[in-house]
Amino acid sequence: MKFYKDHYDVIVIGGALAGLSSALMLADKGLDVLVLERHNLPGGIATSFVRGGIEIEAALHEMMSIGPKENRLKVGKFFDDMGVDIDWLPVPECYHASLPGLEVTLHPGLETFSREIDEQVPGTYDQVLKLLQLCNTVFDSVNELSIHPMSKAQMLLKHEAFVKTAGYSTKEVLDTFHLPQKALDLLAPYWIYVGSGFSDLPFTIYSVLMADYVGYGSMIPKKLSHEMSLKMAERAEEMGVQIEYRQHVDKILVKNGRAYGVRTARGDEIHADYVISSAYPNKVYTSMIEPLSEVPAGATKMVNGRRLSLTAFSVILILDKPAEELNIKDYSIFRGDTMDTDVLYENLAGLGPYRYLTCICHNYGNPGVTPEGTCSFSVTVLPRVDGWKTVKAEDYDRVKHEVAKQLIDDMSDYFGVNLLDHVLECVIETPMTIAHYTGAWNGCIYGYAHTMEDHIVARLQTAEEEKFIDRLEFAGAHAISGDGMGPAVTNGRKAAKNVLDDIAARKEAKR
Amino acid sequence: MKVKNFLKDVGGASRVTKARLAAFASASPALESTDPIGDVSREWHPGPIELVVTRITPACKTAKTIRFERTDGKKLPFFYAGQYIVLDFKIGESLISRPYSISSAPYEARAAYADGESDEHPFVEITVRRSKGDGFICDYVNDSLKVGDVLTGTMGLGQFYYEPLRDAKHVVALAGGVGITPFASMAKEVVNGTLDIDLTILYGSVSSDDIVMKEELDALDGASDKLHIVHVLSGNEPGWTGEKGFLTAELIRKYSAEDTSYFICGPQVMYKFLREEVAKLDVPARRVRFEVFGQAKDIAVYEGFPTELRDKTFMLTVVRGISEVQIPAKATESIVVALERAGIRIETGCRSGECGFCRTKVLAGNYFVCPEGDGRREADKDFNYVHACAAYPLSDMKIKIPIL
Repeated sequence: MKFYKDHYDVIVIGGALAGLSSALMLADKGLDVLVLERHNLPGGIATSFVRGGIEIEAALHEMMSIGPKENRLKVGKFFDDMGVDIDWLPVPECYHASLPGLEVTLHPGLETFSREIDEQVPGTYDQVLKLLQLCNTVFDSVNELSIHPMSKAQMLLKHEAFVKTAGYSTKEVLDTFHLPQKALDLLAPYWIYVGSGFSDLPFTIYSVLMADYVGYGSMIPKKLSHEMSLKMAERAEEMGVQIEYRQHVDKILVKNGRAYGVRTARGDEIHADYVISSAYPNKVYTSMIEPLSEVPAGATKMVNGRRLSLTAFSVILILDKPAEELNIKDYSIFRGDTMDTDVLYENLAGLGPYRYLTCICHNYGNPGVTPEGTCSFSVTVLPRVDGWKTVKAEDYDRVKHEVAKQLIDDMSDYFGVNLLDHVLECVIETPMTIAHYTGAWNGCIYGYAHTMEDHIVARLQTAEEEKFIDRLEFAGAHAISGDGMGPAVTNGRKAAKNVLDDIAARKEAKR
Repeated sequence: MKVKNFLKDVGGASRVTKARLAAFASASPALESTDPIGDVSREWHPGPIELVVTRITPACKTAKTIRFERTDGKKLPFFYAGQYIVLDFKIGESLISRPYSISSAPYEARAAYADGESDEHPFVEITVRRSKGDGFICDYVNDSLKVGDVLTGTMGLGQFYYEPLRDAKHVVALAGGVGITPFASMAKEVVNGTLDIDLTILYGSVSSDDIVMKEELDALDGASDKLHIVHVLSGNEPGWTGEKGFLTAELIRKYSAEDTSYFICGPQVMYKFLREEVAKLDVPARRVRFEVFGQAKDIAVYEGFPTELRDKTFMLTVVRGISEVQIPAKATESIVVALERAGIRIETGCRSGECGFCRTKVLAGNYFVCPEGDGRREADKDFNYVHACAAYPLSDMKIKIPIL
């Protein structure tokens, strides 16, 4: 029986946000696309599962770059343009910061946010707003430059702030604002969404992070991130994309430096003009390219020269009381015993006790997400892969429970309520869980670390030279824009754009 | 914006680009493929593994315990006591899967024979009772499976296990019939010292020769002060001095501690009875855990099922990739059963509508979803996805399933 066509324009490996974004954009341009996804549903970690009759969000804390209907940001606009109609709910706050000497909830809007910091640290309003406005200027430049590349001279004229800050770390730029420590602490909690300590985090990335989240607020889909993933997949199929689930791609077929298809674990060999891989370059260049002799030395050096960023560990609880009765008062709580991001980044290299926790109570953004009289509460740490790489299979269950217990105990202390007395359902997601369901290399969900040695501006500048295999593109957190569900969409679009540009260039050359 | 000086500022982009290229240039050119986190995930969940039957022993007059080892003799995957294994059978033209609670203990699956530290090969066991005529596979396992047979299995599935962050340390297990199997696994693990709970099993049977795994249970009872097995006979058996009757709230209360988690596994009729009895205990919902319900015995009895269609057979168009085939499908048999009869592979897990392994897109046609344990995601319902083990055709249908 024949399950596949003889040939596709593009094969996309992986039906998560990046791969589906690629597929949508390519199908929109009339290309014949096949998506192969290893799990039996779309979305990767942007998914949900059902326990004891309750549907539970697997991973999404908040989605950036959406914006309200009348003023969409780039990801929201892409969904609208593609006809992916998601029921977005606004997240009610930026975060509640629970830091040494600080208990405060901050809300979106550059002025609001600055004013709320000023209430905690009087006299900082102007400087904080100035910083956020700088972030916003850089953010606008990044958005524009990602669509309209221009010469360096032009860039300096039109995007001065972007150009001048590109060479500096977040710490270096923040230092120039001479803010008191407490104000700096309140400007740091989102760091975990980009996963590098401030002395190594490019200010460019910090700018995008703050301008997007603080400036515009974030959103969540009403029917959890599965709604987003499924609607993308359904729309793609409507546009003619063939999506096949439970298909594990083992090999990317390469001849004379050019990708021409894939082989699945089932044994199907499928041919295409282009392959877009959501599998990590680490996996692709070390075990998927067939034959491996087609992997150029530059590719392995690049892979070895980059640092894997963060993975995730979450304890998700369904509790048998409404949130307010358990003293849970916010959608999002960032809690740390220090806000020194460099120290926290080091702490993430181990197996705990972890010092920086991220908590979500979905009921505050999405009332009715759990049955009457219950609530959902998750505690997440985003560790580096280093510590978890040392865990042996025999010790896995013990380590997982020890870490989970630490997280629940810490938050129980904070709320003054023993959460363990209220657990209806308890799900522990680990780096291994992520590896199991998505195949992500070492369970890493953040791709490569955003560092001064692996700067997004540099990534953009050298992108051409890093095309080691012709007609093979990458889409996922490991691509240029890095981690996050918003950037996943951007990464997927970028891979699709590369394919479209290449097709256009070849047509042009023929002429 | 001026951090240091103007030239340094504007040279930033080139500076970071150079830094990046320098990092790559000094990196190792060696091809290293190390994914230890992925390796651990594969040790726990390797997917389908090849198993060989190495021993078949009677578990009572009407049930047998089947022991499997890996064909390569290696350790079996990790699992939690209470979880199940899905076995794949090829019988005639049919490709059929069934979930069975594992009746052996996790430590027995990890026996150190492979490391030369034990004489015992690592193994996994299921205990299956012959049916009263309606259990095709139960009877196949009891009557036809023999030592040396090879089949594939996927194990470590299901949510019916003790979770220390959720459950009380004192566990009362309520078992009926062959529903004893997950608790047998837990009991062995308690005696082995690798499951730290106080376990009391209240096991309801009609008569003493009806008790499944009686010898094994007798050997375990008393082997640890953390394990108590209490047989409860509903039939009138001369000379029986133990507990009599059914697993009533009164009896359950007698064996409960102040804070107790109740784990319940047994036939569907027992679930109906126990739901009421457990409700009388007045314990929080989080303390009561039922194993999945199993396939509905007769879907036509559920409210909303159009009984006038019960004898109908419809045409089911099955799409896989760019291919389509048509097969017959009875209104009273789930879509999974129709596929299996036709020899079309579909992955299944719990076969109770909950786990979602058999998640299937309905492209056209009407269907009925068993209301018992409908585990579908909300967005899936909006887009006509069903769990095919719990969905029944009410018209000609067209579905899309994964290519396996």
